[in-house]
Amino acid sequence: MLDVENITVRFAGLTAVSELSFSVKAGEVFTMMGPNGAGKTTAFNAIGGFVRPAEGAVHFDGKDLVGMPPEKIAGLGIRRTFQNNGILRDMTVLENVLTGLELDTASSFTGAIMGLPKAGRAERESVRRARAIMKEMEIANLEDRKAGDLSFGQQRLVEITRALAAGARLIMLDEPAVGLSPSERGHLGIVLRQLASTGIAVLLVEHVQDLVMAVSDQVLVLNYGKKIAQCPPAEIRQNKDVLEAYLGYA
Amino acid sequence: MPDLQSSGIVAPTVAAAPIRAGARRVRRQRMVALIALGSALCLLPLVLNNYLQFVVNTMLVYCLVAVGFNVVIGYLGQLAFANAAFFGIGAYATGLSMVHFGLPFPAAMVVGTAAGGLAGGLVGLPALRVKGYYLAIITLAVGELLRWVYVHVDKVTFGSGGFNVPDIRFFGPALGDKGKYYLFLAAVGIAIAATSLLLRSRFGRAFVAVRNNENAAASLGIAVRRTKVIAFAWSGLVVGLAGALYAALNGRVSPDTFGLSQMLMHFAIVMIGGLGSLVGSIVGAVLLTAAPELLRNFPGLEEIVFSLLLIGVLFFMPMGIGGLLAAQIPFFRERLYREPDDA
Repeated sequence: MLDVENITVRFAGLTAVSELSFSVKAGEVFTMMGPNGAGKTTAFNAIGGFVRPAEGAVHFDGKDLVGMPPEKIAGLGIRRTFQNNGILRDMTVLENVLTGLELDTASSFTGAIMGLPKAGRAERESVRRARAIMKEMEIANLEDRKAGDLSFGQQRLVEITRALAAGARLIMLDEPAVGLSPSERGHLGIVLRQLASTGIAVLLVEHVQDLVMAVSDQVLVLNYGKKIAQCPPAEIRQNKDVLEAYLGYA
Repeated sequence: MPDLQSSGIVAPTVAAAPIRAGARRVRRQRMVALIALGSALCLLPLVLNNYLQFVVNTMLVYCLVAVGFNVVIGYLGQLAFANAAFFGIGAYATGLSMVHFGLPFPAAMVVGTAAGGLAGGLVGLPALRVKGYYLAIITLAVGELLRWVYVHVDKVTFGSGGFNVPDIRFFGPALGDKGKYYLFLAAVGIAIAATSLLLRSRFGRAFVAVRNNENAAASLGIAVRRTKVIAFAWSGLVVGLAGALYAALNGRVSPDTFGLSQMLMHFAIVMIGGLGSLVGSIVGAVLLTAAPELLRNFPGLEEIVFSLLLIGVLFFMPMGIGGLLAAQIPFFRERLYREPDDA
């Protein structure tokens, strides 16, 4: 579904990601890990259109993503969450999820300002859809709460719900477990497995070992922008290069 | 999906159904309140003398000024201070197209509104590149540049003395203050209703999403640059209409009106009223238009009261009057979507 082929990202001479290749299949939880500064978030940003790789290609269902702006990439069914919280703080939970339906809400500008029936129908349909997905994710009772006032765990669920609202096929989560309690992490893991079981591809950047081990089908380890290992989670602990990168010995 | 309630992630506080029942009740209350307010406003001229009528007309114009300004500074969250410039452009375009081309007021009003919208879209362009204080300085400069144009291109604009606007007719005889009132009331009502509908659609949500987090907005499919231009253009359009009405209100347009003190007045109105609040915009406009009139008999007191009001509001209610009302009373909470009837 997602094919990353030999991408290299440079920032003013610094190579953040170097000749990175990997593929994510539908229904799979694919995890990228690696020490701080290894280039995980940069790889995310390259896929999502926030930075442009100097070399290489990113294909999603055969379409080349390099050079596309983020909002176009979102339109293809790729959605993400952010490391430093991508919640829209001043909006309620329902408004956040509705914003995830931006591209699926067909109200035109003139229709909106004149309150035309067609635009009204499109807007109402989106409200219904947002409520349905919130119910499915069990955050319906938070609908009217300001997103900025919620706990980290709740905010993460809102972000994931918002990413799912428009029927995303690939969802990328950048360190979703930051600031979560152990029980919140456990449930995040369950949510991610459930998503994968419905055929959604999940690309995860995460440090937290228990979560990575519990949910991943494949683990890719980055160090200094290069891939040093890719294997199922059970084998990662035995990998010499990985131990060296994390612990400094082999 | 997993059982999150039992884990404590999701506190089972309020069930969703009562929220929506509450939302429907508030909506009925609002319908009633709107009808009552509308009727009261229609009957208002019966109890006003000429002086008070003029003050109320001024309030209507400034309601529009504040609503338009709030779209950019409150909802979109951009520090742009070209609002007095849009106001001036609306007034000049309206007045000059009547004087030079003999346009009737309704047509001139459309010209002024469109000119404001165009100016808004153009001022939105630098906002695609610069933010914060830089944008503030650039947009302030736009206003001063325009004032220079009004003064120096005197063949067209009649220079620093300004010019008189011909009689205001709306498909009939020249309007007095009461006639203008009904014209203004209709224009202001329509413009605020349209703005309210816009804010409660995907466009309004895009404005606030851009204010909160541009990257997150883009990742959800929002075209950030287009969203900014739309907000600026709509803001300019609404304030341009306010300028057109202002030309009609005073019957005179001159460059000094649209300077820094005008801009400060607009800023004070939205800060006191509340950023990102339509009700606040209106309350702020009414208060700050009334204050100078109430204090007219106490020279020197006006500035003091004005300053104290601004300090007091920013100190005790940083979200402005609108924010305070919204936090305390569900009736005043403004949302970025429209509640479906059958939800």
